[in-house]
Amino acid sequence: MTVKYDEILDRLGLHLQQVAGTKLEFDEDTNLIEGLGLDSYKVLDLMLEVEDEFDISVPMNLLTDVHTVRDLAQLIEQLKPAQ
Amino acid sequence: MNLEATSTNNNKPQRLADFETLVEALDYAATGVTGCNFYDARGKLQAVLPYSELHVRAQKSARRLLQLGLQRGDHVALIADTEPEFIVLFFACRYAGLIPFAVPVSVNLGSHEVYVRQIRGLLDGGQAVAALASVDFIRFVEEAAEGLPPLKWLGTPEQLANVAESDIAFQPNQPDEPAYLQFTSGSTRFPQGVVITEKAVMSNLQGIVRTGLELRPGDRSASWLPFYHDMGLVGFVLGPIVSQLSVDYLRTRDFAIRPIQWLRLISRNRCSIAFSPPFGLALCARRVRSADLEELDLSSWRVAGIGAEMIRPDVLDNFAKALAPAGFNPHAYLPCYGLAEASLAVSFSRLDQGLDVMCVDAKAMAERGVAVRVQAESRKVNEFVNCGRALPGHSINIVDDNGIELPDLRVGRVVMKGPSLMAGYLNNPQATSEVLMPEGWLDTGDLGYVFEGDLYLTGRRKDIIIVNGRNIRAQDMEALAEEQPEVRMGDASAFEVADSNGHQTVVLVVECRISDTTERQSLIVRLQRLVYESFGIHCLVEVAPLHTLPRTSSGKLSRAAAREGFMERADWNQATTAEAGLG
Repeated sequence: MTVKYDEILDRLGLHLQQVAGTKLEFDEDTNLIEGLGLDSYKVLDLMLEVEDEFDISVPMNLLTDVHTVRDLAQLIEQLKPAQ
Repeated sequence: MNLEATSTNNNKPQRLADFETLVEALDYAATGVTGCNFYDARGKLQAVLPYSELHVRAQKSARRLLQLGLQRGDHVALIADTEPEFIVLFFACRYAGLIPFAVPVSVNLGSHEVYVRQIRGLLDGGQAVAALASVDFIRFVEEAAEGLPPLKWLGTPEQLANVAESDIAFQPNQPDEPAYLQFTSGSTRFPQGVVITEKAVMSNLQGIVRTGLELRPGDRSASWLPFYHDMGLVGFVLGPIVSQLSVDYLRTRDFAIRPIQWLRLISRNRCSIAFSPPFGLALCARRVRSADLEELDLSSWRVAGIGAEMIRPDVLDNFAKALAPAGFNPHAYLPCYGLAEASLAVSFSRLDQGLDVMCVDAKAMAERGVAVRVQAESRKVNEFVNCGRALPGHSINIVDDNGIELPDLRVGRVVMKGPSLMAGYLNNPQATSEVLMPEGWLDTGDLGYVFEGDLYLTGRRKDIIIVNGRNIRAQDMEALAEEQPEVRMGDASAFEVADSNGHQTVVLVVECRISDTTERQSLIVRLQRLVYESFGIHCLVEVAPLHTLPRTSSGKLSRAAAREGFMERADWNQATTAEAGLG
């Protein structure tokens, strides 16, 4: 069974809260850089947490098309092997 | 299949860069058993490329490149991901008499468009006749190539493998011929290609491996430095080959996320040579946990070279303290200085001495440009790191704006000369003549002073911002701002400022008419995002009223004056680093 998109979004949300460091309001359309103010260090922290949380390796050529929370959640869904 | 890394010990006598050309060096390295090893994000060995195999594969690929109709001297763009194919293709180009240049791989979120533009700028500026990229990156290059005069060939290494091998015999390379091009910044608009000849790079490598590092049998390298960076390419691809060392690679991106993997590699494979800009050490110190320390043994690490950006002693001290329980020896620190225009290295401090810091009076430095030594305890001091002496056959001088040599401890322009210097910037005689001066001196664009023959760097005169070892041209950041509908041409200024703790912040000041707070905030966050996507850095954006930025009589912006104005407005000398935008 694969992990459902909604579940991914929930789990991702927790990490975004933690990495962004504040109780920011965000939804699927929030831009990660503009909306959450992630700097390059925080992006690295986020990638570490995402890779560990979902047990995936995110190829960097795919990150270039990630702008929003939704983009990232969809990428995780795409990379996540069946459980 | 179980891979096994290449051994540290070779079965052939070590030769230290006593070759005429790069292919001659590889011909010799191929007779031994050493080579390159590639590790994945979890520290697993993924690929092994002994120099013997590199030698065979490079020559095969060279014959295929010739079969494609490429002519001697043609430029070939190689997307420089950390994998065996890059090294194979780099040497394939040299066997075929082609001139390769490395194109960065992008690691920034949402940077697709910017990345394509950057590649296009490099294909165009580098006059690429062919381009090669792995399957992961080929689509970006295909997009970039649209709208440019057609390339003779564009494809992946796998596609190249399907091309028949030409039977044309290789012609020997000459020491005065260009060996490769090195681009000095990720600039989209003004890519500046440094032309490095075979003789220049071999002279530099000789200085590095003999004098700088005193390489010896038993040495082994570990590197996460990108292959498109001069320190990664010259220092850790070509350096190991001309001295027949085995080297262990980690992708830059994998290092950035899990820096501990680099330390594990050094520990596990008993590596002795590993370099990093200071920010890499800061990443390690930030992430390392006490549980990690127990499994690490860094006692084999005899040369921890530090370069590529201004060296802040506190960053090195933090790393040394954090890693001391793992056996890291602070005397391994080897501060050095270099730039792409000199192939790579200009000066090295002394081996086994560690960091040598000079404390000077901040007031005398700022007001008179003189380094007056003081005790560290006194209140206003600047700390500068000893970067050592020029490599043999090279010289360093400190001169004033008129080119007159300055005495010891006086700050001035750092100029250097020697056989490692570039032939010039590709197709840019004007830029070349601005830095290459009569009698063969290169103006490095850096400021510093000399004391008892050793170089101390104090800052940069050129408008290049260096963040995390990357060179960013101020005008590229300004151009991003000028592309916004709210900002007019020439109404942006980018520079970096340091606070009282020496923390650097990149600042972008834009002038515009907008008074509405929401609109201003929208411009600020948009610019921060664009700067991040393009350069991978976070910057502070100030939106200022028109006529804030100081101009020269000819109407040109002065970045130095803009910086001063900003520091005054923001009361920067009192400030600690601010995270977000003003405005």
